[in-house]
Amino acid sequence: MIKRPTLSRRTVLRGAGGIAIALPWLEIMGGGKRASAADPSKRFVTVYTPGGTVIDNGAGENRWRPTGTETEFTLSPILAPLEAIRHKLLVVDGMSMTSAQGEQHQAGIIAWLTGTTQQPNYGYAQGPSIDQVIATLLATDTPQKSLQMAVRWGTGKSHGLLHPINAVNFEDNATFDPIPPRLDPQAIFTSLFGALDPDNNADLAARIARKKSILDFVDRKYDGLAQQLGARDKQKLDEHLTKIRELEGALDQMIIPTDVCVLPEHVDTSDYNPTTGLDSADDGSILNTETDQAIPKVGKFMMDMLVMALACDVTHVASLQWSDTEAKHTFPWLGLDQHHHYYQHDGNFRPAECEQIYTWYAEQHAYLLQQMDLVELGDHTLLDESVVFFGSELAQPPVHSKSDMPFLLAGGGGGLRGGRFLRNAGLADPSHNNLLVAILNLFGDERTTFGDPAYCTGPLSGLT
Amino acid sequence: MSKLCSGVVACVLVGGCYSGLAGDGSGGSDGGGDSASTGDGEDTGIGACEGDDGSLVDRATLRRLTRFEYNNTVRDLLGDDTLPGNAFPSEEIGNGFGNDADAQPVSSLLVEQYGAVAESVAIRATETPERLAALAPCTATVTDATEVECVRTLLADLAPRAYRRPLQDDELDELVALQQTLRADATFAVSIAGVLEMILQSVDFLYRVEHGRLDGDGRVRPTDHEMATRLSYFLWGTMPDDELRAAADAGALSSASDVRAHAERMLDDPRARPMVRFFFDNLLPISGLAALERDDVRYPKYSGAIGALMREETQRFLEHAIFDGTGTWPDALTAEYTFMNAALAEYYGVDGVVGEEFQQVALDTTQRLGVLTHAGVVAGTIHSNETNPVVRGSFLVQKIMCNAIPLPSGDVLAEIKPPDPDSGATARERFSRHSEDPACTPCHMAMDPVGLALENYDAVGLWRDTENGVTIDASGSVPGTEGTIDGPVELVRKIAAAPETHACFAQHWANFAYGRTHDSADACVQTAVETAFTESGYDVRALLLALTQTDAFLGMPAGEP
Repeated sequence: MIKRPTLSRRTVLRGAGGIAIALPWLEIMGGGKRASAADPSKRFVTVYTPGGTVIDNGAGENRWRPTGTETEFTLSPILAPLEAIRHKLLVVDGMSMTSAQGEQHQAGIIAWLTGTTQQPNYGYAQGPSIDQVIATLLATDTPQKSLQMAVRWGTGKSHGLLHPINAVNFEDNATFDPIPPRLDPQAIFTSLFGALDPDNNADLAARIARKKSILDFVDRKYDGLAQQLGARDKQKLDEHLTKIRELEGALDQMIIPTDVCVLPEHVDTSDYNPTTGLDSADDGSILNTETDQAIPKVGKFMMDMLVMALACDVTHVASLQWSDTEAKHTFPWLGLDQHHHYYQHDGNFRPAECEQIYTWYAEQHAYLLQQMDLVELGDHTLLDESVVFFGSELAQPPVHSKSDMPFLLAGGGGGLRGGRFLRNAGLADPSHNNLLVAILNLFGDERTTFGDPAYCTGPLSGLT
Repeated sequence: MSKLCSGVVACVLVGGCYSGLAGDGSGGSDGGGDSASTGDGEDTGIGACEGDDGSLVDRATLRRLTRFEYNNTVRDLLGDDTLPGNAFPSEEIGNGFGNDADAQPVSSLLVEQYGAVAESVAIRATETPERLAALAPCTATVTDATEVECVRTLLADLAPRAYRRPLQDDELDELVALQQTLRADATFAVSIAGVLEMILQSVDFLYRVEHGRLDGDGRVRPTDHEMATRLSYFLWGTMPDDELRAAADAGALSSASDVRAHAERMLDDPRARPMVRFFFDNLLPISGLAALERDDVRYPKYSGAIGALMREETQRFLEHAIFDGTGTWPDALTAEYTFMNAALAEYYGVDGVVGEEFQQVALDTTQRLGVLTHAGVVAGTIHSNETNPVVRGSFLVQKIMCNAIPLPSGDVLAEIKPPDPDSGATARERFSRHSEDPACTPCHMAMDPVGLALENYDAVGLWRDTENGVTIDASGSVPGTEGTIDGPVELVRKIAAAPETHACFAQHWANFAYGRTHDSADACVQTAVETAFTESGYDVRALLLALTQTDAFLGMPAGEP
């Protein structure tokens, strides 16, 4: 079986007998070195929001694009909630998702992180998503290779099931399988922070030893059998084995509470049904107002968990989805009792209501970035060593356009420089695959193309 | 393109003769296998296909237990009837039954859940002395001196059943060693739970591993224990019972006739019925009826409780029609009876039904005939408060008759939305663009005339003569058949008389039985199954038996070890 060659700092800390000792690990492992522009980014976060933004409100006004120069600019009405964190924000204007070929919403959400066209017959992606490629680069010693979460997901025509209209993340393996996001905030809390919960901690060392014995046995049997099978079946078992080894690896990497790694506040979400999508109607006519009312609370809880999952080194790559491309849920806290898709085009384009929704998403994003910026890691913050990519499957809802995409980057990982507005960043070549490969470069991956090469001419410059 | 789709529909048909929902993915294969049946010997089953033993090498053949199968298996192995597998992420739709071996990706979430569920099942199975004693009576009196022997006894019984094969070489020693390792830090019960937790995550439990054996003719066949597993998961959705295991131990599952004899026994057993229910829960739009919501002002009689009763009506009817009635699919499609209890009868407006028990009820055959006119089937296709002749027609044409209709191109697809409810008094008026706009007509003429013939059923499946005060025109036609029809009864008679309806039914069963999605490479096996089905007079039990007699079921891909 695979034994990780690098000495994990936690393995060191657990020491003989597996007892965790809270030492200042940054010093021991030399991790306290000042993050500099040359250091690759250490963490990657993607935030998906449905239905683009308001590029044209019908009166010729672009309600998303800032005005001004690269460094002297005024945020637009929709982006105004990000003002407090603008010094770490990079507004990337003018990119086109030219690789989004297929059904209009599906091809958009598929291409956003993969840069590939949709498989024929309304299938999934034809390549991995960048978060998974980055997870492979970064996941050397975290309990979870990556984390996918979604709020009020599986609406409308997907009826709560994984579908090309709601999948954002795709495995970095031979078949690029879509990854189902985690939906239940309580299950996420247990999965991420169960070990930090004092109620679970009594026999933790014994429990870990037991799990290791069991998984080691399971692992050897998968490995042995895979060697005896035909190529397709071997691939299937190898993928299973990879996931078992992730679980095994996680046991070696207990979370250690520190000054910055603290248990997030455990929020009661009993009023929120995470699988309400299973009851959804194609046209959004079936409402679950109680669950919709809980979206802000659940969203904040998930963002808090996301930030702590990074701060506690549970994972270095996280994905948050606000709903899916159907977005057939209501916004009762905004006084909007129709579903989002209705305001996008099902009930004709309603720019004012759409702007309300997108502005609210910007507020949530500001919260996430600020929380990341509150986590102090020596001389810099968690946000400073991260890259956060915010996007959608289209730009202007009624026409499903993929040009002038509402993309935001944030953080300082890999030398990313915030506080800037890149007007017409894609002037030379607007294809967003160029942005994807430039993001990969921030993580020390030096490739020059990503996704479908027909839509990629090389890394977008100007991020650093 | 097989005969299933030759020129039936005016609209251009997509290749492969089968189209599921958008996003099913296509496990297309261009492998060979169209060669004719040669019938090489008396006891080799049906549809022997020269140069093609019915399973393609480029396909994944390793099947993972579905949630349905996992639940049944832990129930039969450990007496755990808590349906713990429902915690796993739902299967890919794949072939419509979630068991397509080519569409079973492994996510981190799934593997994590395998671990979490295994732990909870294992704890439940060992948490009381009684439960432990059910695993092995020796646990009741175990001492330090007898512990290893007792563990050996327990695992020698449990592990072969969990793995569905005899243990090899030193496997039992390894399992006992694992228990001893775990015992160092744990009680006896917890150490047994740990071994169970391992077994429930093991490749031999979660996957249906097949190594095969060479038969006398140099062909690769499943071993007898592997055949027992094929039979039990196909016909019962669970692990083999003692009789199958005994037959496998005795080497008595090697010939086609051996297999057929067990299949007949198994179909006569009540355990076949949940499998048939599972099949129809996935073929027909009825599994979500209890969660179906409707506007309670427009549909005051409807509720989720009624939806659950509708599902039970259809399931009870099909179970009766197949196991206790004439057993043919055309009869199920045109039966003049159904099953109701008092609450459902009141919903339908049928008099004289008393009590909670479902009972056989004669239909008013001017309004309803056969399973496709059940309230649940016509309501379950609809995902809103308005009827939609397109989705109803699409269901019958694509799912029941297997005539594939391509989705519109991306630009058009994105713009599709139901017509404004105020744009016409009846659905025929609201959807009139489909018969007028040349961009829509070619494909919609293959669906809408079928769905419009069901317009006498409202969005909750109840009969209506008018919509918004206008008398409903339920005339229509079935593509590929002669003449026109008026209303649902004529519609289902037409569908039941169409040969492709029955070829389609056989194809769904083959997909379900073999855990694959039919494509042209399966033509030989498919033809053999269809022929057997036709010759039996479309007898469903005969079809299930025939599916155990093909090379796809009796053989394994050449070239695989």
